Amino acid sequence: MQNIIGIDIGGTFTDFVSYDPKTGEIHNWKNLTTPAEPIDGVLEGLERVEDVKKLDKLRLGTTIATNALLTRRGAKVAYVTTSGFRDVPFIQRGDRRSHYDITWIKTKPLVARRNCHEVSERLSAKGEVVEALDEAAVRALAQKIKAQGDIEAIAICTLFSYIDPAHEMRVRDIFAEVLPDTPISISYDVLPKWKEYDRASTTIADAYLKPIVSDNFRRMQKRLDGIGIGGKVGVIKSNGGEATLDGAAAAPVQMTLSGPTGAVVATRALSRLTGINNIVTFDMGGTSTDCSTVVDGMEHVTTSFEIEWGIPIQVPMIDIHTIGAGGGSIAWIDKGGMLRVGPQSAGAAPGPACYGRGGENATVTDANVVLGRINPDYFLGGKMKLDAAAAHRAVGKVAKALNIEPDAAAYAMVQIANNNMLGALRAVLLQRGLDPRDFTLLASGGAGPVHVCDLMEIAGIPKGLVPNYPGQFSAFGFIMTDARVDRHRTVQQTSKYFDATRATAAMTELANSAVAELTQYGYTQGIEVYRSIEARYLGQNHELELSFPGNEFNDETIADLWERFHAEHEARFGFAIPGETIETVNLKVVAISVSEKPEMKTLAKGSGKPEPRGTRRVRYEEGWHEVPVFNREDFKDGDKVQGPAVVEENASVTILRPEQNLVVDRFGNLLIAS
Amino acid sequence: MDFVTMNILESTMVSICREMGIVLMKTSYSTIFNEALDFTCGLADLNGDMIAVADYCPSQIGGMPLLVRSCLKEIPLSEIEEGDVILHNDPYRGGLHTPEHTFFKPIFADGELMGFAVAIGHIAEVGGMAPGGFCGEATEIFHEGLRIPPVKIKKRGKDNIEVWKLLLANVRTPRVNYGDLRALIAAVDLGEKQMAGIFQKYGRQKVQDTVRDLLLYSERRMRAELEALPDGRFNFIDHIESDGIEEDRKHTIEVEVTKKGGDIIVDYTGSSPQAAGPINATLGVATSAAYNAVLHMTDPSIPRNSGCFRPIRIVAPPGTIVNVDFPAPEVGGNTETHPRIVGAIMGAMAKAVPNRIMAAEGATHCNFVFGGVDADTGEFFACYDLEAVGWGGRAFADGNDAVDSINGNCRITPVEVYETRFPWRIESLAFNADSGGAGEFRGGLGYTKQMLCLNKEIICSQMTDRHLIAPWGLNGGGEGGTGATLVQKSGEEKWKTMREAYGKKSTSRYSNVSIREGDRVKLVTPGGGGYGDPGKRPKELVRDDLHEGYISKDFAKRAYKYQEAE
Amino acid sequence: MKFSQNGLYIESYTKCTNCGVLIYDKIDQAVKGPDNASYCSSWCIDWKKDRDARRSKVKVTS
Repeated sequence: MQNIIGIDIGGTFTDFVSYDPKTGEIHNWKNLTTPAEPIDGVLEGLERVEDVKKLDKLRLGTTIATNALLTRRGAKVAYVTTSGFRDVPFIQRGDRRSHYDITWIKTKPLVARRNCHEVSERLSAKGEVVEALDEAAVRALAQKIKAQGDIEAIAICTLFSYIDPAHEMRVRDIFAEVLPDTPISISYDVLPKWKEYDRASTTIADAYLKPIVSDNFRRMQKRLDGIGIGGKVGVIKSNGGEATLDGAAAAPVQMTLSGPTGAVVATRALSRLTGINNIVTFDMGGTSTDCSTVVDGMEHVTTSFEIEWGIPIQVPMIDIHTIGAGGGSIAWIDKGGMLRVGPQSAGAAPGPACYGRGGENATVTDANVVLGRINPDYFLGGKMKLDAAAAHRAVGKVAKALNIEPDAAAYAMVQIANNNMLGALRAVLLQRGLDPRDFTLLASGGAGPVHVCDLMEIAGIPKGLVPNYPGQFSAFGFIMTDARVDRHRTVQQTSKYFDATRATAAMTELANSAVAELTQYGYTQGIEVYRSIEARYLGQNHELELSFPGNEFNDETIADLWERFHAEHEARFGFAIPGETIETVNLKVVAISVSEKPEMKTLAKGSGKPEPRGTRRVRYEEGWHEVPVFNREDFKDGDKVQGPAVVEENASVTILRPEQNLVVDRFGNLLIAS
Repeated sequence: MDFVTMNILESTMVSICREMGIVLMKTSYSTIFNEALDFTCGLADLNGDMIAVADYCPSQIGGMPLLVRSCLKEIPLSEIEEGDVILHNDPYRGGLHTPEHTFFKPIFADGELMGFAVAIGHIAEVGGMAPGGFCGEATEIFHEGLRIPPVKIKKRGKDNIEVWKLLLANVRTPRVNYGDLRALIAAVDLGEKQMAGIFQKYGRQKVQDTVRDLLLYSERRMRAELEALPDGRFNFIDHIESDGIEEDRKHTIEVEVTKKGGDIIVDYTGSSPQAAGPINATLGVATSAAYNAVLHMTDPSIPRNSGCFRPIRIVAPPGTIVNVDFPAPEVGGNTETHPRIVGAIMGAMAKAVPNRIMAAEGATHCNFVFGGVDADTGEFFACYDLEAVGWGGRAFADGNDAVDSINGNCRITPVEVYETRFPWRIESLAFNADSGGAGEFRGGLGYTKQMLCLNKEIICSQMTDRHLIAPWGLNGGGEGGTGATLVQKSGEEKWKTMREAYGKKSTSRYSNVSIREGDRVKLVTPGGGGYGDPGKRPKELVRDDLHEGYISKDFAKRAYKYQEAE
Repeated sequence: MKFSQNGLYIESYTKCTNCGVLIYDKIDQAVKGPDNASYCSSWCIDWKKDRDARRSKVKVTS
């Protein structure tokens, strides 16, 4: 087993979790992020490691790609497409962000129209060449762009290239000859799926990111070389898998959601460890909250993601739903007299009123202080003193506006904040046809445990789990990350006329290419390949994903596939159409090189009845309770606590409701049941 | 009022509506559902009041209350049983237009009827004279497809087979319609099931009380918004170019908005008598359009339900272009006349609140519909599809380019989906330079889609607008570019209008044109009007528009007096 | 034609002369205006009267 360190570079803090296989010890710490040059913060944190040269592996969650897209600081891109279609990235889909808003300004793509170019070529919807590629014109265009002098990357996306990429590849080759030092992205590599706007947008984003990500990685590599560990770095992709710096720089669009995936990877590992199959994650920080699911031990992967409205980035990524609500969300009264919480946040500065940094608005954290849920003397394990009086003052203003008691106002704020969180939980559960009653709610982030018990109640989720290291859960996930490649391709066929040979060939090629990518970057151990097929009734336009046992399509596996499709449609949507023609759309392959996992330490067996360290008054819906206060460090395997109760730890605090109880498992996880 | 419960219940109900829409999108067959999202899902109480709705298609959002109320007049509550699903599309009974099918399912709690889950969706093929539902030359409702008064398509949880048979025997694409109808039923099933759970969880009384308060709250917010607008009486007149039947006759939309305190009255008296062709709006459309206009001028964060609509009164005289009487045709009223009514109300209000209004948008969905027999499969296909237009310039920003008109929020279908589904090859999809009206803030651009017919024959019809009457500018802004539909027959050079090529009465509304293999069709969508004096537009922005190709050198010189050294 | 208890299946309903809403049941009880036309409410009778008077004085222009 390796000596590993997981590092998550967040907006405010850079989190570190290290695992030493000799002692089995896991350590965690954090320091401030250095936004101008994030590697500075990383190196600062690494100073706490006794001998960095002894590290075998560094896994890094990075926000480089995300920030470059959000702040629009990527490359000047030239876009090349089929003749007649250069306006596709501008026309988009014609819908608007929200109804009834005439102030809305339509999102501009990541490329200027004057840098969008067309080349003569055309495939039909069946992939036949209708118009040959005009190579001379492509060469002339490449030379023109070269002469222009300011283009930093090229994106190429031609119509129907997902069926046959020959034209796209030829355009790429010609450009590479003329502009050998300019990075090029083609849609077939980035996203070989139908729907030209989504494919174009994703391809443009990839090209847009290439120069900035490469530069950044080069600098990072150099700095890490300086302390002798440059060769040991892996970065985390949006699919929750590890890639080498070179591998990641070659397809940077796959890193738009790097950091938050760690929490989901950690959840999957916990799922395997504890045997809890269905988990919904709830990672609540100061300004945002992430929710995701692990179903039957597997995380959910999506390709429908937009970095901002109108800029789809459709590479496979862990399906994490983020809302802009957290402990720092501010309470306000709307024009109709209704109390609302967020989306405005006090952020890290000035932060909630109780931080004592000049914040005057009442935030969710302030409400939690007023309610006795957060102990002002034991925030971050006592490292930060909170100003309870300031919290009372801020919440008092809200109470006055509502003409109710301050504790009632604070409780209302928490309820409304919880309701905002519920929206995120519904998005990952009910909107996907998943039943909350089948799930365990896992809370992480500084504020997650504070709200988990209430959310279980309002979301109808019967069980809860507060893991170890809830404050550095993503970085914790990184010490368990595997290398992973997701590949998919559109291969449309119907159950009426199904060409098994064609499907087998496509699946085999897809699986081989995914494995080849892993091995190319040195990930050769424990390779597992998972295959699936996206299918629908002929005429529908959205697919259900069905696992598929191997590369081989034969009478047996095909018949089984159709049968499972009808059953899955019934289960997901409440009806099936027996006998209807089924259309297969995409083949998907996931190749994983499974890394060795840390051995989790277990706790000694306890008496079952842990001793509280004291009591304090906490406000619940029905009123104030004097409740026992436990410290998590005191817990042993099998300890039980009946609510109402409070469990404090360095990173957070869990507020058990009166009707709930908590059991400590042998790994130290807090298992809550209603 | 219990604001906390209200907040929670409101967002939960909107989530339910959104989840209904997701099921509909994922399981439906027509591209008009699953790509364009031309549907709406909501919840209603026993009065037919809309209590929650998800943000799908705005024209259906405003239309929902009247629809449910009208159906309940004919199927009394006492005859509604658990597991029933009611279907309706009748334009004269609160409906919007024939393709718009409304499904609703009763929600019971402890055996007592509490409300309804509602899904309204645009069914692409409804029978009638022309495939695809938009018969541009219809002169009576019977040309426009199968009309369905409120009937039970499911009774006590079981399919009402007789109704299904009648429905499917009268359309060209029964397999696709079956899939779409099933999807709509799956949506109301989901809404009913989840809402029943809400009644269970909170108790009937608590939900009813909270919903009543919620509607009051929305009403209060809306009144506060209206009170902040200047009082007065504001007028506007706009014209629609043709109805597809009477050559060259213009039709008038007249609007008088009376704003007093927290109330607003939209009076359409003075509008033309109902037209001979299918551009008439139903009462549902005239109502929905007024709601739509007011919602655009007020705070979009007000929870959307019937409460918001209480301060708005509509006066739509019967037998006019804004309130069609049986049996006159109506299919274009919902897509074309609706945005023109909204535009007229905005035009009137521009005198009161110029900063909250935009110049006229393209205001058409293009509605190029077609059908035929697929040469490969032998199956009949039919398509209803729509296109985007330019928005008008605003007091603070240019009009957006290529956005669905204001009464829809639908998406255009990707080229790769379109060609996979239908035997056309799209040859280009490109902005129309100079189609954004000149102004300090220019109008948005329309675009052109050029298509080549690959089937032996495709029967095409269209219901669009703005081929002759351009979108108006505001406060000195110029007019937006007009649209066009042109055809180039195989082997010919010249592009002709449908009037020139097929002797149709109108270039923008016609039906059953036979397009043959090798023929080309060009759909040009209108831009938006400009806002403010073009002379005030900063030179850098004019230069930018020129370099990006949004305007031509000629236009820059003509509209902005801008010229670059050669 | 009567298919339901309240008998509402007919081809043309009466509409309010002013605002155009359908007057469904109890058609005989619809409010009669001074012009003997059917109205849905006295508000509509008054509104129409006021508007007619207003418009006869001023010609509305756009």
